[in-house]
Amino acid sequence: MKRIGVFICHCGINIAKTVDVEALTEQIKKYPGVVHAENYKYMCSDPGQNIIVEAIKKQKLDAVVVAACSPTLHENTFRNTSERGELNRYVCEMANIREHCSWVHDDREIATKKAFHIIKSLVEKVRLNEPLDPILVDVTKKALVIGGGIAGIQSALDIANSGIETILVEKSPSIGGHMIQLSETFPTLDCSQCIMTPKMVEVAQHDKIKLLTYSEIEEISGSIGNFKVKVRQKSPFVDWVKCNGCGECDLVCPVTTDNEFECGLSSRRAIYRPFPQAVPNKFTISKLGHPPCRIACPAGVNVQGYIALISAGKYKEALELEREANPFASVCGRVCNHPCEAECARGEVDQPLAIASLKRFIVEKGSYPTEQKKPNGEKIAVVGSGPGGLSCAYFLAKKNYQVTVFEAEKVIGGMLVLGIPEFRLPRAAIKEDIDYIKSFGVEIKTGVEVGETISINELKTNYRAVFISTGAYEEMKLNVEGENLAGALHCIGFLKKVNLGDKVTLGKNVVVIGGGNAAVDAARVAKRLGSDVTILYRRSRKEMPANSWEVEEAEREGIKIEFLVTPSKIFGTERVQEIECLRMELGEPDESGRRRPIPVKGSEFKIPIDNVIVAISQKPIIDWLGKEFGKTKWGTLVVDDDTGETTVKGVYAGGDVVSGPDTVIKAVAAGKKAAEAINASIKGIKIARKEYNKATPEPEKLRQTKKAPRAEMPKLTTDQRKGFDEVELGFNEETAKKEAARCLNCAICCECKQCETVCEPDAIAHDLEDKILDFDVGAIVVATGYDLYDPERLKEYGFGTIPDVVTSMQFERILSASGPTVGEVKRPSDGSTPKRIVFIQCAGSRDKENHLEYCSKICCMYTAKHALLYKHRVHDGEPIIFYIDVRTSGKGYEEFYNRVTDEGATYIRGKVSKVYQDNGRIIVLGADTLSGKQVEVETDMVVLALGIVPKKGSEDVVRKLKIQCDANAFLSEAHPKLKPVESQTAGIFLAGAAQGPKDIPEVVAQASGAASKAIGILVQDKIAFEPTVAGVDEDLCSGCSICVAVCPYSARELDKEEMVVKVVEALCQGCGSCSAACPSGAAQQRNLIDRQIEKMVESALEEN
Amino acid sequence: MSEGTFEPKIIGFFCKWCTSAAADLAGTSRKKYPANLIPIRFFCSSRVDPQHILHAFKNGADGVLIGGCHFGDCHYQNGNYKTARRIALLHNLLEDMGISKQRLRLEWISAAEGDRFTKVVKAFTDEITNLGSLKGNGA
Repeated sequence: MKRIGVFICHCGINIAKTVDVEALTEQIKKYPGVVHAENYKYMCSDPGQNIIVEAIKKQKLDAVVVAACSPTLHENTFRNTSERGELNRYVCEMANIREHCSWVHDDREIATKKAFHIIKSLVEKVRLNEPLDPILVDVTKKALVIGGGIAGIQSALDIANSGIETILVEKSPSIGGHMIQLSETFPTLDCSQCIMTPKMVEVAQHDKIKLLTYSEIEEISGSIGNFKVKVRQKSPFVDWVKCNGCGECDLVCPVTTDNEFECGLSSRRAIYRPFPQAVPNKFTISKLGHPPCRIACPAGVNVQGYIALISAGKYKEALELEREANPFASVCGRVCNHPCEAECARGEVDQPLAIASLKRFIVEKGSYPTEQKKPNGEKIAVVGSGPGGLSCAYFLAKKNYQVTVFEAEKVIGGMLVLGIPEFRLPRAAIKEDIDYIKSFGVEIKTGVEVGETISINELKTNYRAVFISTGAYEEMKLNVEGENLAGALHCIGFLKKVNLGDKVTLGKNVVVIGGGNAAVDAARVAKRLGSDVTILYRRSRKEMPANSWEVEEAEREGIKIEFLVTPSKIFGTERVQEIECLRMELGEPDESGRRRPIPVKGSEFKIPIDNVIVAISQKPIIDWLGKEFGKTKWGTLVVDDDTGETTVKGVYAGGDVVSGPDTVIKAVAAGKKAAEAINASIKGIKIARKEYNKATPEPEKLRQTKKAPRAEMPKLTTDQRKGFDEVELGFNEETAKKEAARCLNCAICCECKQCETVCEPDAIAHDLEDKILDFDVGAIVVATGYDLYDPERLKEYGFGTIPDVVTSMQFERILSASGPTVGEVKRPSDGSTPKRIVFIQCAGSRDKENHLEYCSKICCMYTAKHALLYKHRVHDGEPIIFYIDVRTSGKGYEEFYNRVTDEGATYIRGKVSKVYQDNGRIIVLGADTLSGKQVEVETDMVVLALGIVPKKGSEDVVRKLKIQCDANAFLSEAHPKLKPVESQTAGIFLAGAAQGPKDIPEVVAQASGAASKAIGILVQDKIAFEPTVAGVDEDLCSGCSICVAVCPYSARELDKEEMVVKVVEALCQGCGSCSAACPSGAAQQRNLIDRQIEKMVESALEEN
Repeated sequence: MSEGTFEPKIIGFFCKWCTSAAADLAGTSRKKYPANLIPIRFFCSSRVDPQHILHAFKNGADGVLIGGCHFGDCHYQNGNYKTARRIALLHNLLEDMGISKQRLRLEWISAAEGDRFTKVVKAFTDEITNLGSLKGNGA
């Protein structure tokens, strides 16, 4: 049996007064296994400890119980004492007979009895305690600091200066945090930039610091001494090794967005350096993805790009960018159905941008270079010279293919010239695009009908690939009686004649049947030929497939539209005379999603006519293609969705011949897709599917955008529209620039690539991807910082609606010599000097009911500083400060506050209830609680001293670190008094405002504290872990893995071969929840095994 | 303990970080409470196996008090949630065994709540005194 010694402390009279230590000693001496018992006045004192050492040696003790105070205080002391007596430290236990006994009971007899029970239960525990050795783990001698504000910078420098490698990870492109934004700092008024930038440079140049800006923590695992960290280094889309920070790119970038560093008081470019002193001094491109307009365009035209270039006055570049994706700029600038405009985010503010009209503008303003291509010897044949065929030819010619286009008609352009009337699309406008395409060496042979003049097989033999884009020209019939009478025309045939300049005469009364763009065009042409025109459409206006703006123009020109009407019969002898129609009503939606028209019985009526033009769609003519070509039931060609290849290898198709009658831009897209596929097939490369990540502006930005109406397209008056002159006249430069400036720059960077053209070191890398870096570190300092309380939540103070109500950080920038006003105090609204500024303290803080309950600590002092600096800049200025209390606890703070009041700042004790605008003046309504009166102050400007909240997004890091936060989401320290820089997880330390609001000196002190704690770990070779971990008795373990599931530290893993659980002792923190969960008793926490607990319970309950 | 009046025996299983520290604070503040409870200190309340509780009842305990950290405060991330679930299950079983579930109480007492610790121990001791001896009346 183990020889156990019990040592009872009097703790002066703290224990001895209530517990009869002498009687207790005698009583415990008789307890089984206790071979020695002794009491002493102060057992923790040197002589007291010597008593224990002597007894261990003399009595050959195997275990020791010290009955004294709380083990929290002296467990370590007495375990060290045991070691001095050459006894393992883990066979020494403390019985708490002071806090848990003598101090909480008065009755000496009762207290003595309870003490006896406490002691003997611990005697039972030590009886089964094993001698253990601390678990030693190698320490990775590297530190990680998260956050590059003053806290992170200080910690990183302190750790690195002790010779330990430190990784500093900062989310934004530069270190500096909020401190670098401040103008001057209280109470000494030293310039923040002056004291901060040397530290920032030191970080960048330190050979022991690895600085990773624009980076975020992706994943963290492991524990003290050995953390594994994954860092995502976000792509700045600029190669930072090459970038020399010259700033040339900044000058050419056409996109402006809010400048975050200046708190939105000024703007910056899409390519930017956060501020001139940024560390590292590198440029970053803000890319949020792809703008909705670009995604909506079937041809993927970089809409945001050319719009941005227009607003910068770079029309030539804009046109080049447009034509990278679409050669038909001139055509699409006029007749595109512009799906981009439907998606334009500006539509959520007021109206979408006039994108198509802007495109037309750049064609008129821009010129284009004609690149001389060197043919690569590969020949491609294109059948049909419509927008699909010519686009395919264009994109292939740009890749140096030798392309020949075969056109059956005598004119080039397909439906563009044959179908669309000149008043919408002048021939010169089409020629503009065709000439451009031809300039790349595309050969166009007119009057060659493939299938007649030359066979498709001949083309297949003589060319590497063939692209068929022959359109849809076979007109659909009405299939009513009288359709073949003279005077009954079909739309495309009619338009073609007119467009080719053939003489066409129409009668007075013309009826057009159909609701598509061709029907509307035919009607408008007929009108110009002098007829009275009525369009009959079988559904309602809502279902009409023609572009709404074309329908409006038609009506404006005097064309009548009868909705819900369908023809049933055409009467006439030889010539058409009358048309019989039926009224319709709308039933259930059909396959196309439109409501199906149903005839109303007995609703027949007749219209007298001289001509009828049937415009109810067309289908392709493909009977010249053999059986080997797959055809759909709609009479179109079957092609592969991704490549446009037909069922015949090497023969591709696109445009109306595949889709049926559709838009120009879709034909362009089809030609482009086929060109890419043909090139990929010949070169043997794979086409990567484009993935779009849609970027839309934040709802807040949409809300804040000022309304500006969409530019109106100047047009011919209806009186002027007699002939075939173009109706739309185009934007002038002023209108175009103004319209382009309405763009919200959804994706920020528009990828116009102007930056690439000026970057001398060739550093721009638009395709650069994020990098994931892995690090092993031994200790971590978290310094994720703070943000200001969201002023949008303080509606009563007018932020966001009154431009001269600013946040405290905005005011810092206004005061800063490097700020948007170069240090002069000016109002954001009109740039005038404010003669009076009202400062509202506790904006969001100390308001339990509505906002933050806590005091944000720094606002009293920075407001005092603001008032003083304002007085220094504007001598006759009048600062008025509303406050609840002025808290100035800090070295020199009260003195500073006195100076501020002495220099003329007015302090009014009371809260502001409302800030509003009255006739352009700002009125602040508040209370003066000292006089008990309501006060109304007229002011030029208001500064909100906003509360401090944890950095937005830091909760993500906190979750990854598995550290705790308090109720306000600030990081929790391990002990509010004694462990202020430790988190509750060993090896992770806290610094700065992430832990709670604090001023700069406090932050720096805490950061150094955290650094020294980290250094304390990192200078050790090994780190000792408490060995009271939970092991596994492999004989008992069945591998059920219940313990694996309950372990919060992933310290337990199932060995699937042996079917037993294995423990990573270095990860086990010793909570013992696995021991409680283990059904077989295989998982036992060392020195707290089930048998021990049972014996302790028995002994605690036993009377003697 | 005078003759004739019933003095219950109570075992306290307390986690080291919160409830045991609260008991320390009660001592430092010299808050008085009945001496019927003998505390046993664990690292975490999740170490408490229902068998330990049954063992206490079997060996003469009239009541068992488990003390842990408040939800969200657990030093071992989520140990107290596990304890809460185990005790909830055991409460059901106790009734089946003929032991009043009032004899087993689970309390979250933080290190700052010395006063509350005292109140809980007093109230629990009173409650068990009123219930009487587990051996004496079987409930």
